[in-house]
Amino acid sequence: MNTDEMTAGHIQELRRGTVVLACLIRLRTPDYGYALLESLNALGILVDANTLYPLLRRLEKQGLLTSEWNTDEARPRKFYRTSATGEQLADTLMTDWRRVDKALAGLTTGDES
Amino acid sequence: MTDLTDRYVWAAARTIPETQRAEFDRELRERIGDQIDALVDHGRPHADAERSVLHDLGDPAALAAGYVDRPLYLIGPKYFLTWWRLMKLMYTLVLPLAAGGVVLAQFLAGAEIGELIGGSVATVLAIAVHLGFWITLSFAVIERMPNTTLPKMWEVEMLPPLPDLHRTNRLGELITSLVFLSLLVVAIFWQQFGAVFRDGVREPIPVLDPALWSFWIPYFLVLIVLEMLFAVVVYARGWTWTWASVNVLLNVAFTVPALWLFLSGQLFDPAFLEAIQWPWGNAETERVLTAVFAATFIGIPVWDIVDGFLRAARARSAVAAPAAA
Repeated sequence: MNTDEMTAGHIQELRRGTVVLACLIRLRTPDYGYALLESLNALGILVDANTLYPLLRRLEKQGLLTSEWNTDEARPRKFYRTSATGEQLADTLMTDWRRVDKALAGLTTGDES
Repeated sequence: MTDLTDRYVWAAARTIPETQRAEFDRELRERIGDQIDALVDHGRPHADAERSVLHDLGDPAALAAGYVDRPLYLIGPKYFLTWWRLMKLMYTLVLPLAAGGVVLAQFLAGAEIGELIGGSVATVLAIAVHLGFWITLSFAVIERMPNTTLPKMWEVEMLPPLPDLHRTNRLGELITSLVFLSLLVVAIFWQQFGAVFRDGVREPIPVLDPALWSFWIPYFLVLIVLEMLFAVVVYARGWTWTWASVNVLLNVAFTVPALWLFLSGQLFDPAFLEAIQWPWGNAETERVLTAVFAATFIGIPVWDIVDGFLRAARARSAVAAPAAA
């Protein structure tokens, strides 16, 4: 395995949990799979369709998202929305993310001094 | 518009349980449709975009398995080690025991030599295949049963003792013994069909007197099996004075009757001796050769007995050494 591959692997691992967090926050406004994918990628939260679609389904199964079919347009679309449980989890994850960020910052400045 | 999307959705949905199929069908069509549209917006022809999207989705069966959390392996990490340990136990302990039982049963039923070998090989092969198949099938089923957990298979108490350095050396001895003893068994059966070749044609003259099959050959076969078990025990436990003494008994039990049969002229088939034109040369040569054979018959077990005691003595001092270090 070369260095690039290794770096990519670690970056992917680091980002894995943040995709869940991003979905939970972004879906406070209901949206469907492809629109979510586009908006996340536009924000620089890079996620692959093969990751996102199964993830949405899993979060729904865990009760973190609710869904509703929208049949107004030619193509029926499943709109996901963050549930109350999802909101709670988002808060917890966000707090933890900030804590880790702070801890890492402390570690870096501690290193330099 | 091609029918590729329909075919893909059908291929994926057919493995999904009936109750979830309609929802899955709809979700998948939304995903495929949206992704195709995105590519078409970027100027790709529709057919081309469809093919590309389906290609990226991958094997429909794998996609469907992910949807219903179906494992894509036969036995997963939760049960693999339990399965593996059980398989090793079956093939190293149960199968040889079963094989021994089959040979014994065939023998007691009075099977002919050829029938005995052929029948045993076929039965043992069948047992081996059945063992592997049913155990693996059971584990694959358990793997797929929701909410089942086998009792915890590992505890700290199960940690193996630190490796005994002498045991690694003993493995070589064990293999040598087992191979040698197996060859001996094979030779005993093989010689029955004749060991004399004249112009490349095997003549049906056994080496050992066929009369011996009534008692002595089975007796020696049983002894060989005991020797094999003994080799395994010594491998597992290491040489001790007790094992060295058992070794004496086994050697005596083998050598004394063999020597007696040899010296009283009952060991070899007279037809065989005739075929190889024994005795060679005059009475003097015959005496010398007989003495050489007899010495070999006695020498090998004596050496084996002494070797057993030497190893027992060495093992004892080796046990004392690391404790002192």
